[in-house]
Amino acid sequence: MGLVLASVFVLLGVSGVFLFQKDGNPYRTVERLKPADYLENGNSLRGNTYQLEGIIASSLGSNPEKGRLFSLRAAHGEKEWPLPILVPPGFRDVNLQKGQRYRLKVKVNEGGLLEVEEMTKS
Amino acid sequence: MLSLENVELAVPSSEVPLLSGITLHLPGSHFGAIVGPSGCGKSTLLKTVAGILPHTGGTIHWRGRNLDEQDLDPYELGYVPQFTCTQPRLTVGENLQYAARLRRTYTARQVQEVVQAVEEETGLSDLHDRRAGVLSGGQLRRLGLAMELTTNPSLLLADEVTSGLDPKSEEEITALLASLAGQPGRLVLLVTHSLRFLDQYDSVTVLTGGRLAYGAHPSGLMSYFNVASPEEIYPALAERAPSDWAEEWISSPAELGFEVEARVEDWVIQTQGVNEEKTSVPGFWSQAFIWFCRRWKLFWRDRTQVILQFALLLIFPVVVTLFAYQGLPAVRNMTMSPDTDVVQQLRETLDFTVQSSRIGTLVSGLAMFQVILLALMGSNNSAREVVGDRGILEKEKLAGLRPGAALVGMTAFLSLLVLVQSAWMTLFVRAVCQFPGDLVGQFLPFALITAAMTSLCLAISSWSSTSEQASLGSLYLVGFQLPLSGAILALPEFLGTVIRPVISAYWAWSGYLQTLRDTRFYDLVRAITETPMAGSQIAIWILALHLGFGLFLAHLGIRRSDWR
Repeated sequence: MGLVLASVFVLLGVSGVFLFQKDGNPYRTVERLKPADYLENGNSLRGNTYQLEGIIASSLGSNPEKGRLFSLRAAHGEKEWPLPILVPPGFRDVNLQKGQRYRLKVKVNEGGLLEVEEMTKS
Repeated sequence: MLSLENVELAVPSSEVPLLSGITLHLPGSHFGAIVGPSGCGKSTLLKTVAGILPHTGGTIHWRGRNLDEQDLDPYELGYVPQFTCTQPRLTVGENLQYAARLRRTYTARQVQEVVQAVEEETGLSDLHDRRAGVLSGGQLRRLGLAMELTTNPSLLLADEVTSGLDPKSEEEITALLASLAGQPGRLVLLVTHSLRFLDQYDSVTVLTGGRLAYGAHPSGLMSYFNVASPEEIYPALAERAPSDWAEEWISSPAELGFEVEARVEDWVIQTQGVNEEKTSVPGFWSQAFIWFCRRWKLFWRDRTQVILQFALLLIFPVVVTLFAYQGLPAVRNMTMSPDTDVVQQLRETLDFTVQSSRIGTLVSGLAMFQVILLALMGSNNSAREVVGDRGILEKEKLAGLRPGAALVGMTAFLSLLVLVQSAWMTLFVRAVCQFPGDLVGQFLPFALITAAMTSLCLAISSWSSTSEQASLGSLYLVGFQLPLSGAILALPEFLGTVIRPVISAYWAWSGYLQTLRDTRFYDLVRAITETPMAGSQIAIWILALHLGFGLFLAHLGIRRSDWR
């Protein structure tokens, strides 16, 4: 009896891990961006949505209507790739600073830029 | 009538049965003594009759009922153990009131009447307001008896309740037991080493080596053993093997000296009311509430415990804030412009790394410090909760207390401590150190770590044999939290994956830091630790599981029988 109930606790623990896995990566169902493919021909990926993870490297520019443009050091495999990401004005409350690590859901927009749809600290 | 037929009790640890071939028939309204030299099985026999030790052979009938098929109802049995089973910080009256309320559904007026009646019966009326802790040995034994009498039991078993008393107290207690046996249908059995008051007993049962050597009226005792005085009986017993005495008793027993069959009608009449009595055991929640009320009162009566709790409550958060009493430092960010020259960038990066190390360590440390101190408070809450009063708990379980109700009562009381401790720690440290983030989000992991450690230490307490063992076990549990949490030093990846699920401190630490996620402090902590940070929801979930697991183990521990 005790063993059965102990197993129930383990089962609950494991099910909890699965249940709340989105805590770890909320975009796990979204395809990962391959930086090499993007840098080689970003235009061919227009309209697609990807997830990526990286560290904010620097601010490249800012426009009140279009948003903020950052350079992101995206990790893929064992390499890090510098990628430009556009953070739309809707995220103006997010205090983006150099060195912060983020998980992003991005869409390759009509201009070929990676436009942030969702973002969360990792 | 109590009827034992060829009762045997064998245990795996002993080749020789502790009891063998015990056959006895005792009527109601009877005062019987069970005597014999040390280790002969007197107390074992009494515990077997009480159902504390299950017999492995033979049958025991009470009022014609086979106890293997239907156990004694709690209110039928009064069992007074050797050890004191009273709460020393409660008065005589309070001890009796709680005993009555836990065992029977009485109205407040009935409780008063019952308490008054048993106090008069046992000569405790003048001591009603006196704390049990200051009573003499004889008075304590009276109180122990009085607590059993609150249910008006028909079978009263007293285990060595006259041992260690001065001669006058011994005489008084024996006379009291004799008078209690005067009630119609009540059988009183006293285990004693003493042979001083043989004339008081209606029967004497002599045991030797777990065998029955004699079981009849005391008037035939000395002639049966062919001795001149009662003091010579034990030396005479030692001269022959227990089996010889047992065979002799079977082949040529002495005259009983009392009627057994003639009393049968008495108990038949009395059992007619039993079904009504069965419904009078308090319900689960009533028992839990009574337990909680008594625990609450006991807490405030224990001045040392109150002072310790308040001291920990006040000092621990202050100790945490010493490391950041001026508030958390401001974070200087690096220049975002890509135009900064390389030297400037390197300098900024270096400064930021130094800052990360300093502030990140501070924030992570403050979070973990709070967690560990709350864990320590949790262990202090419950490490002795069960084991400290184990004897009383066992006694009350025998008298009808449900283990689950006791656990709920304990949990309700401990929950109050947990809530106060975790709320004060969260608020005080947050206010002084000016921690940003969601207040409720910070309180939850702290409340849960305190609750989880409290429940796990309650489990340790319920499975420990001594208070020292429970304290040590609880201390180890808390002690291992810090190094195994990975907050100070990251564990190797595989080891961390295996160990982290069972380390409550890790989940509380992670859960708390998640509330800082939108701040730079979180980034700095992430920069200095390699231990992966769990999400807040999973952290809460795992902590709740730890809490539930602790309560589950505690329930098993409370439910098991642990008479010492």
